[in-house]
Order: sequence, then C-alpha cells, then structure tokens
Amino acid sequence: MSNAASVKNKWTWLLLTLVAVALLVFGGTRDTGPKTQSDRIDAITKVIACPTCQGESVYVSRASAAESIRAEVARQVASGQKTDDEIVAFMEARFGSRVLLVPRSTGLDALVWVLPVFALVCALGTLVFAFRRWSVSGSSTVSDADIEMVEQALRDAE
Amino acid sequence: MSDVSTDSAVARTRLAPVIASIVGVVMLAFLWVLVSADPNSSSEADSPLLGQPAPAVSTTTLDGENFVLSYRKGSWVILNFFNSTCVPCIAEHPELVAFAERESQASNPAELYTVINDDSDDAVRAFFAENGGDWQKVRDSDGSISVAFGVAKVPETWIVDPNGYVRLRVAGSITTGLLDEQLGLLKAQFGS
Repeated sequence: MSNAASVKNKWTWLLLTLVAVALLVFGGTRDTGPKTQSDRIDAITKVIACPTCQGESVYVSRASAAESIRAEVARQVASGQKTDDEIVAFMEARFGSRVLLVPRSTGLDALVWVLPVFALVCALGTLVFAFRRWSVSGSSTVSDADIEMVEQALRDAE
Repeated sequence: MSDVSTDSAVARTRLAPVIASIVGVVMLAFLWVLVSADPNSSSEADSPLLGQPAPAVSTTTLDGENFVLSYRKGSWVILNFFNSTCVPCIAEHPELVAFAERESQASNPAELYTVINDDSDDAVRAFFAENGGDWQKVRDSDGSISVAFGVAKVPETWIVDPNGYVRLRVAGSITTGLLDEQLGLLKAQFGS
C-alpha cells in the first residue's frame, strides 16, 4: 500500500469514528419529548434503591419501604412542583446517599467514576509501553556469534 | 544483542519503582478512605435530617383527633415508628411504657407518639390494650411520614426539640435508660 493510500485510509477511519461518537452523543442526550406521569414515576423509582433490600430498585421491589417511597414519588410527580432530579434529591435528603443507585459525580462518590477511567488509562499506557519494548527487542541485530552458531548447526545436520 | 538485553534490563529496573509507587499510592488512598469513614453506631443513627427542621406531618390519631407535628412546638416530641408484628418493637414496648410513666411525672414532660407503620388500626389497638401504653398513636396510612423521616425499618425513634428541629434518631430497639440519657443530654444542650 502506498503512503498516499495509507494516509487516506487513516483519515477515513478517523472520520468514521467521529461520526459514530457524534451519533452516540446525539442519541444519548436528545430530548425524546414530554413524558407521561407514569413514565416519570418509573424513571425515578429505577434510580432509587429500596432501603431494606440488597441491590434492588424501588421500581422492582415489593418491600413495604419501597411501596411507601413509590407512593411518595407518585404524589410528588402528580403535584407537578418538582423535577425528576429534585424528587431524587428529596429522597437522598431523607434516606441518605445509600438510596442512590447512580452515584453522584461529586465528593467521594466521584471515585466510582474516576477510578475505572484511571485504571483504563494505566492499562492502555502499560500495553503501549510493552508493545513498543517488544518491537525494539525484535529489531536487534544478529551478531557474528549467532551466524556462526546457525552455520555450525546446519553443518551438523548435513 | 547483549546491548539490547542490557538496555531492556535497565529500562525494567527504572520502571519497577515507578509502577510500585503508583500501586502503593492507590492502595494508601483506599486505606485512607476506609480509615476515615464514619463507623456505624448501633444506637444513635446518622440521618441527613439531624439538625434540620422536622418534616411537616399532618395526620390523625387512632382516636380520630388531628395531629400536626408543628403544633407541638414548645414541647420535646418523641416519635416511635412501630408495627405490632415486628419483634424488636414488641421487645422494646415495656421500655417505652416505663419511660412514659416516669416522664408523666416530670415537670415538663416530653410527648411520646407512636407512628403506625404498615399496620392496621385494629391490630394496633389490640396490641396496646394487651401491653399497655396510653399515649397517642398516629396513622401513617400512605407511608408518607415514614418516607419524610427516611424510616426504612421499624422500630425507629426520633426526638424533635421544642423549636421543631430533629435532634436524634435511634434505629432499632430503644431502652428507657438510653431514652432518658439522650433526652437529658439534648435538654441540657438545646434547652428544655
């Protein structure tokens, strides 16, 4: 492959990657229009943990505490005075951050988001470093002693 | 070839302390997080509501009277979240009866209320008829009072000061001694 073709290929891949990222960002953040009250209740209760269960959301759980929280969420949604985030914040102000199934991105909770990225960067850096070292050691020159050893082995084999 | 091997060995020798230091720092950070975390107390429990104005509560009692928490300002109020089938609630009940009897003889008694958590009126009436306790029992039919206070499991006991601020939360069974002691400390700190 010529140099010009290789550069063109790289630009194509870069463009494709950019388009894919842009589409993902657009798809993930676009406004899907007004939600019904039922949709809002479902969305809110899916991010609130049942305080008496292990790893279950209020949406899934049928525990008494979860039922009470679901009823309160329904009341607050019906009143129309709070946004979804404000209702989740209300529950956090009552039960503490343990009821948040999606950790906050501030304070100590931010470690949950930062540490995996940090670990990924470290792992990728280590891989790049290791691959580079392998390619350097692969290009080592052959010494006279090596050539002599191979020729000797060939002579012995005949 | 020997040169390449030597260079590689030198690079490894230089890299090892760096990697070890990074791993060490991360491990120390985890250790610091664990050591600096607040230990969980078995009696006094933490809550975002401590030191905050008590949530608005407006309901009715089993006797059919209205109960509005903000109308109780001027008195220390004790809210005991209760269910007649919960074993720790049954176990702590004699302690509450003893506390209520002693408190009724005080010059400025605290007001004790049972908040009925996920239970029927008849079951609660039957329980109190059998086990004593003549203080008011307030309904929480839709669970809104429990959610407002962040109560997940009963029993839980909360103390609200005469200005309407939440001062104490006790998760689990309570004893007369603990209630007396904590109420005394709170009265000394925030005034009776």
